[in-house]
Amino acid sequence: MIATPHPGRAPRSVGFVPLAWRNLVANKPRLVRSSGGIGFAVLLMLIQLGFERAFFNASLEVIQLLDGDIFIQRASKYRFATRDPFPARDLEAARAVAGVASAWPLYAAWHELFWRNPADGKDFLVRVFAFDPDQPVLSLPEIEANERDLSNLDTAIVDRRARRFLGMDPPPPAAELNGSKIKIIGSFALGPDFENDGTVVVGDRTFGKLLPNPRGGAPDVELGVIKLIPGSDSLTVQRAIAAAVPTDVAVLTKAQLLELERKFQADVSSAGPIFVMGTLVGFIVGMLIAYQIIYTDVSEQQPQYATMKAMGYRTRYLVQVVLEQATLSALAGWVPAVLVSILLFRIIGGVALLPLHMTVELALVSLLLTLSMCLISAVLAVRRVVSADPAEVF
Amino acid sequence: MPGEAGWPARLALAWRILAHDKGRTALAVAGVFLAILLVFVQLGFFIAVPRGGMLLYDRTQFDLLVASTAYEYQVQPGEFPLNQLDKARTAPEVALAAPLYFGSAKWRSGEDGKAPDVFVVGLDPRYPIFARRNINRQLAVLDRADTVLVDSMTRPMFGPLTTGRVVDIDGDKVTIAGDYVLGTGFMGLGVILVSAQNFIHLFPYRKLDQVNLGLIQLKPGVDPDRAAATLRDLLGSDIQIFTRPELEAHETAYWTTRTSVGLLFGSGLLISFIVGVMVVYQILATLVGRQLPQFATLKAVGYGDRFLVGTVITMALLIVLASFFPALAAAVGVYAVIRDETLLPVEMSGARIAAVFAATLAMAAASALLSMSSLRRADPADLFG
Repeated sequence: MIATPHPGRAPRSVGFVPLAWRNLVANKPRLVRSSGGIGFAVLLMLIQLGFERAFFNASLEVIQLLDGDIFIQRASKYRFATRDPFPARDLEAARAVAGVASAWPLYAAWHELFWRNPADGKDFLVRVFAFDPDQPVLSLPEIEANERDLSNLDTAIVDRRARRFLGMDPPPPAAELNGSKIKIIGSFALGPDFENDGTVVVGDRTFGKLLPNPRGGAPDVELGVIKLIPGSDSLTVQRAIAAAVPTDVAVLTKAQLLELERKFQADVSSAGPIFVMGTLVGFIVGMLIAYQIIYTDVSEQQPQYATMKAMGYRTRYLVQVVLEQATLSALAGWVPAVLVSILLFRIIGGVALLPLHMTVELALVSLLLTLSMCLISAVLAVRRVVSADPAEVF
Repeated sequence: MPGEAGWPARLALAWRILAHDKGRTALAVAGVFLAILLVFVQLGFFIAVPRGGMLLYDRTQFDLLVASTAYEYQVQPGEFPLNQLDKARTAPEVALAAPLYFGSAKWRSGEDGKAPDVFVVGLDPRYPIFARRNINRQLAVLDRADTVLVDSMTRPMFGPLTTGRVVDIDGDKVTIAGDYVLGTGFMGLGVILVSAQNFIHLFPYRKLDQVNLGLIQLKPGVDPDRAAATLRDLLGSDIQIFTRPELEAHETAYWTTRTSVGLLFGSGLLISFIVGVMVVYQILATLVGRQLPQFATLKAVGYGDRFLVGTVITMALLIVLASFFPALAAAVGVYAVIRDETLLPVEMSGARIAAVFAATLAMAAASALLSMSSLRRADPADLFG
């Protein structure tokens, strides 16, 4: 039996196929056109949002790789990628605090060391990290080297995913850092970010030779990487370390270290506003496209809506059909856009060597934006249904 | 024969269709307006980054730039001996050769005890190198020991930039003698100007006779390309000389190919163009669809497809023209917002207006072609369906 709706209490659907779905697929070329229109607007938003996340994640990625529970750094350090080291004795003081299992130094330079590409003899600024080869405080991804061999003076491992012009993939047998000959003993796969083209990792002795401490002795420490004895209370130990080191040294958890960086990027970099504005423009354009589509559709279906009104369907039901149809249109645009953006992220991320990924979060945010874009347009366009006059059918 | 009707007839018909349903036409214009604005905004971002990287060059006066062969881009210029500039001054074409020193230091007087990095530009205060005369007039103050001028775009995290404030730069106490309006670009979060003498004081490991860049101003009427050739012979092969156009090409190539910027904003620009085509197409297809019975009638009375196609293209052009100028005005406003938010020099230029206008016409043409198929379907017989 064909479901015959009782006009007074209109059911949500006519038969098994909802009316909204029927409206949507009634005109296939138009469906392709509308999902194309909405889809490109969604794609624009996805690309902008993806770039924004890539930008911020690229600068956070290396902090995530730090192998520690608590970190100490100079209190005046306003971001991770700036050289502002503190004396090694402050790290000794932290190591003596109860609850601390280990406290090892990370040395770093961002704007001080130039890598000479052995292939073309050109010099490029590189990011350099260093540590005690027996205590690698940075978990380098996909490492193909024995880190202990870094204890030999003038050896380094390099980033296979560095920008091509540095000539690190495949790793050359030897290169130069600030004019010093360096033997390359292996590689890892980290990748550049928006400020650093490539990364070189050396042992602490090599670092001390490249950038000698002006006051003599061991190099100053960029970041103290502290591990806690299992079971000790993080907050208590953090406070005890803060009491043990001078006030110009800050004691941070990894979450706080990440937050400092995120806040710096959000406050200072131009990338945030650029991508937010790009997303906003995509949203407005998408809303416009959706309005155009829904409005046209509602206008064309107006006689049908008027007929249904004459049969006794309530305006509320008709409005609901339009909103359902807007939701379906949103999904019809969103699904292909997400699929295309996965592909685009792969291509652009591979060429730009940036962490461009489709994440669940990104998919959900874009879905939410797409739905609100289409529903707002539907609400604006639905006034025509409300005004559908049964008498006009004739 | 109606099929032979000329463009005035098409224009008249297009105009009447658009004037007939003013609400729809307004909606179409609004849509195309947004599409054009979108292209303007994305293009603004695409160009803003290289322009930001050239801010210092754009706002200084010189005809030729002297740099080391190790020159990468503005912030990584390499070094060359100062006496090369003395040599350059002996050339009859050269009016002025001014050295620039670049350095980065810790500004230890930031907010919340933070020490942001400050980009330090060392110069000879005698040379009026800036395009803005009021900066040149301020330079004399830099002759005083441990005195700096601060760029007004320096970020709030550096603390107050009030004249007379004494700040700590890498352990040296220096006095802010005033601020100037130039912009920080990609030089850093804060930029200060100092005299060459004070520069050496701030960076003891640097030497006065090793400079980062040389700005050369030529005598009036001298051709920069010929002067560049003369100087290349005079200064030897371990020096690079850029004319203004060469420098612009070099810096733009750096930002668009070496960094990920070109790729990111390039793809944003491309997609914004496609979205623009989709919007205009959607609008045109709707307009054509609504007029389909009328178009069929026209066909029935003997007007050819060419006439109808011409009418649709005319409609597209009319809508685009009506949308372009409001979009241009809005883009000027949006650029001002972007400038405030990002501190990048996003400015409207004739070339940019022309480029977007060309893109707009292409958008209109592409979408008019796409909507043709529905026009061809206009079948007189359907009228009596």
